[in-house]
Amino acid sequence: MKHAALDPAGAERLSGWLRGYRPIAGTPDELFDPSLTPRDHWLKFLGELAEYPAGQIRSRFNLATRHIRDTGVSYRIYGEENERNWPINPVPMILEQNEWATIAAAVEQRATLMEALLKDIYGEGTLVAEGALPAAALTGSPDFIRSLRGVPPPGGRYLQLYAADLARGPDGRWWVLGDRTQAPSGAGYELENRLVLSRAYPGLYNAMNVERLAPFFDAMRKGLASAAERVDPRICLLTPGPFSETYFEQAHLARYLGFLLVEGDDLVVRDGLVYVRTITGLKRADVLLRRVDADFVDPLELNSASHLGVPGLLEAIRGGGVAVLNMPGSGVLESKALLGFMPRLCRRLLGEELKMPNVATWWCGQAAEQALVRSRSDLAIAPAFNLAPNLAQSGDPFARPRLMSDLTRAEKAEFFARLEDRPGDFVGQEVVRLSTTPVMRDDRLEPAPFVLRVYATATPDGFCVMPGGFCRTSDQMDVRAISMGEGARTADVWVMTDRPVERVTLMASQDEVKVRRILGHLPSRAADNLFWLGRYLERAEANLRLVRSLCTSLMDSEAALHGEGETLTKLEELLIASGALDEEALGARALDAAKPALLDLEAKGSVITLVRRSRRTAASMRERLSADFWTLLLNLENGLTDPTRRLASEADALQLVESSLQILAALSGLAQENMNRAAGWRFLDMGRRIERGINTCRFARTLADAESTTDDLDLLLDLVDSQITYRARYLVGLALTPVRDMVMLDAFNTRSVAFQVFAMRDHLAALPSLVEDGMMEPPNRILRQLSTEIETALAADIDADAIERFEDTLLSFSTAVGDRYFLRGANAVPTIKLAGLA
Amino acid sequence: MIYAVRHKTTYRYEAEVTFARCVLRLRPGSSLTQTVMESSLSVTPEPSSSFDRTGPFGESTRTVVIETPHRALVIEAQALVDVHTPPARLDFGAPWELVRTRCLETSDLSPLGPANFVYPSVRTPLVGVITDYARTSFWKGRGVVDAASDLMNRIRADFTYDSKATDVSTAPAESFEARRGVCQDFAHIMICGLRGLGLPVRYVSGYLRTIPPPGRPRLAGADATHAWISLWCGEESGWIGFDPTNNIMVQDDHVVLASGRDYSDVAPIDGIILAPGKQTLKVEVDVIPQEELRLLRPAFGAR
Repeated sequence: MKHAALDPAGAERLSGWLRGYRPIAGTPDELFDPSLTPRDHWLKFLGELAEYPAGQIRSRFNLATRHIRDTGVSYRIYGEENERNWPINPVPMILEQNEWATIAAAVEQRATLMEALLKDIYGEGTLVAEGALPAAALTGSPDFIRSLRGVPPPGGRYLQLYAADLARGPDGRWWVLGDRTQAPSGAGYELENRLVLSRAYPGLYNAMNVERLAPFFDAMRKGLASAAERVDPRICLLTPGPFSETYFEQAHLARYLGFLLVEGDDLVVRDGLVYVRTITGLKRADVLLRRVDADFVDPLELNSASHLGVPGLLEAIRGGGVAVLNMPGSGVLESKALLGFMPRLCRRLLGEELKMPNVATWWCGQAAEQALVRSRSDLAIAPAFNLAPNLAQSGDPFARPRLMSDLTRAEKAEFFARLEDRPGDFVGQEVVRLSTTPVMRDDRLEPAPFVLRVYATATPDGFCVMPGGFCRTSDQMDVRAISMGEGARTADVWVMTDRPVERVTLMASQDEVKVRRILGHLPSRAADNLFWLGRYLERAEANLRLVRSLCTSLMDSEAALHGEGETLTKLEELLIASGALDEEALGARALDAAKPALLDLEAKGSVITLVRRSRRTAASMRERLSADFWTLLLNLENGLTDPTRRLASEADALQLVESSLQILAALSGLAQENMNRAAGWRFLDMGRRIERGINTCRFARTLADAESTTDDLDLLLDLVDSQITYRARYLVGLALTPVRDMVMLDAFNTRSVAFQVFAMRDHLAALPSLVEDGMMEPPNRILRQLSTEIETALAADIDADAIERFEDTLLSFSTAVGDRYFLRGANAVPTIKLAGLA
Repeated sequence: MIYAVRHKTTYRYEAEVTFARCVLRLRPGSSLTQTVMESSLSVTPEPSSSFDRTGPFGESTRTVVIETPHRALVIEAQALVDVHTPPARLDFGAPWELVRTRCLETSDLSPLGPANFVYPSVRTPLVGVITDYARTSFWKGRGVVDAASDLMNRIRADFTYDSKATDVSTAPAESFEARRGVCQDFAHIMICGLRGLGLPVRYVSGYLRTIPPPGRPRLAGADATHAWISLWCGEESGWIGFDPTNNIMVQDDHVVLASGRDYSDVAPIDGIILAPGKQTLKVEVDVIPQEELRLLRPAFGAR
């Protein structure tokens, strides 16, 4: 194919890419055919790509990646712990439509086969009873859920989302490596990959007639909705939580599909139905898109050690009160033990041959197969079942696939002994060789081995296959599938068609959209997290201010007064009381107190500890926070932990404090100006205000009592950021009563206790009420009393006792908020297990 | 042999409990080896909902939801059971390797199908040293009943009964290492050993008749729940019970309550409650042969 339009530089780039590309001998490649001629559809793509001037590809790509992240489409932030990072290849994997048609037909058939298998295994059980499948080929799987045998799946099917891992073998044909029937991951990542690539090369993407992904996700959404009894069902994505390595993907999918992201704790079973706990009470959940492994979904009936599940969920499923998809137990089909049976099972259940073979596999639970595996040194060996993590023996060399030829003599002997003892635990497999697809590194194209994951989603009319997929490429040039591991990079997968592609997105058409200003009901867990995020951030700010005073007092000669003696002691006492400083530090030099108060990882109230707690709290509700908020939070932490920073003097400490306070100010500003004023924002703000109110009371008690010096009062005004206001209002200088009035009672001072209390009163008034008897709820009652007292109080009467009473009232208000709105606030009732050998 | 069994469990809570959801596995079922003549299960306070079904391994379960605020939960099970286990087999059984092979070939997914019990489970994982310990009894071609009896015999000889050494959550590797434990530990260890060799074996919970010391009266509530194992010995012999704690084949002294892969499948009570405070637990068990029952009936309160 010619690219007449290419300028000479572009033509040179194209030919440079092709010249430098070296496929592996004997291994099929996506770009080059066996005669080393580039394939047409690739040539077309690379030709278009070469039109971008040198260096632009990478910059366009990087910009697109950043844009996606900045706009909050993606929550993936570099440096997150527990999170798998998938660098995206700037070049997609491209398949032309004829080849794709065979892949799609095979995956659709396989998904249909899987559904039929589950129906038999959990239903009539004829396959086992009639000897087509040995019972022990199923029972070894932790996902064989016996208590769901004979239970018809609510919604009428077992699978909503199925995925097959595919590879192209040496003869160019595609093979199925494995089935994903539990809760296939990667579809959300593919969505992100597509967004990045279509944004990086918009013209190219549109010119190439690439099949769109949106209709697939739309089908999935409709499929899930059709599993519900109600017309307008509430669909939730049940996640194991932020510690899951694919949490980002789950949050992304939930937001893209418009589902509520929930953890087990968010749900409760009552009278055979499943409900989400929200600040507005219990709201029914009709359908759960499950990302929690089956064994963990119900601690009452299954793994009782699980904290991820919902007690009573299986009972609700049995009663048809909730559709859980994929149905718990579907994962039983992921066992390698079953692969060898698939050709026969397909013939039996569907009356047809498998359209795509799976990798030849022999389950050693059968005598003849075991003998074959023993006799062949060219095979791979692997566990027959995905063992639950708690059952896998640590350090077991045979817990992962191995090549027989890689085993040492001793290992081989050990393996044969294990095979003798427990033959059913192992399979032998033909070693699969992968083919290669181009990846781009430093503006050069190189072949990389790949595995392709293709998805099918159930609809009322059968399975619909995603035109595209999740492609993982390896950085190793070893093409044996077993060396692939979990893959190193991902690539978008483009399916090209001849016909123009209809442009669709998941945006609903104009008339379908009902205008609404509030997005559903705020789950209690999210409210809880937002509230505590507010409290931690404010506490960090208060401690930073204490440290700032500690440091400035020594440097500023005019104010050097509080550098020594009682005021310094009081500052240190306040830091000790807030848990930032150890009691033994009392009397230490300012810098020696400032350092641990900022950076001591062991101290529960140090600034770094509070910032980390903020970040962890925020991590569990990323779908509710903007990318900017995140970035600032991470900057705050990174600034504190910067290994190159030395705190050699008060000035160094001060600099760190100032930059941290600036970031905190930016975070407050962002919350005030950029956060939707729905219930979520109110909880974040209440958290901040309650913490500020409590801290201000504590400061005032310590620094504005009857014996306070002017230094104390001066420091107090510093801490509550009211110096300027005070000086402007009172020219006479510092006096106890005006200071108390400004800090405690002045409704115009945004830092006063009064201001916090009045702001919280407004928040409560805007939040939903649960009561039906017209009585005031406890948080409202407590706050109403407090605000009345503050409104009518006179500064002269506000002594230390009165301040302490305000402080106690604020603490009990916090508890009342937790009891009323949260699952597990300070005093919320926990769910515990009955213990002991009954 | 007919027994009256009473199993009373009392939870007391420091703070009021407003909600409880429990799965109770406290009703014995009839089988080839026993016939349940009567059984009852009472829960106080009265559950707001309650339903019965058969659990994954054939056990009778009752799920109850309690919404009455309470500080004590009392669950009392009573049953009259006729135990008629066939006499212990005198032969040594099929060669054990054959049993291992046959188990993998079975076409039985029913609750007691042997394939359900051949793989490691949460509380009984594969433990290399326990497998090797068991292997000593399983020489080539040895009859499976003979070999398992020998293993049971060795466990009894090598291990010390010590109720202080372990608790309900002790892992088999730990009690094996200590060579101490109670019936639950010995059953778990024997299961680990047999499964390590590829044999299908069940954990059985139930009650054992106890004989009061001569001349002393039976003390109410002094008996205990018991646990032993049942080994699948091939299609012909089926499941045969071994009690490693007492080194006896299971006979007419054992009343079966439930069986599963390990303790966690048969825990008599699994529950969650909404409560902020601590809880205490008291269990009282009586297993009384029918002939003694006549004398005790008024005091015992059984019907």
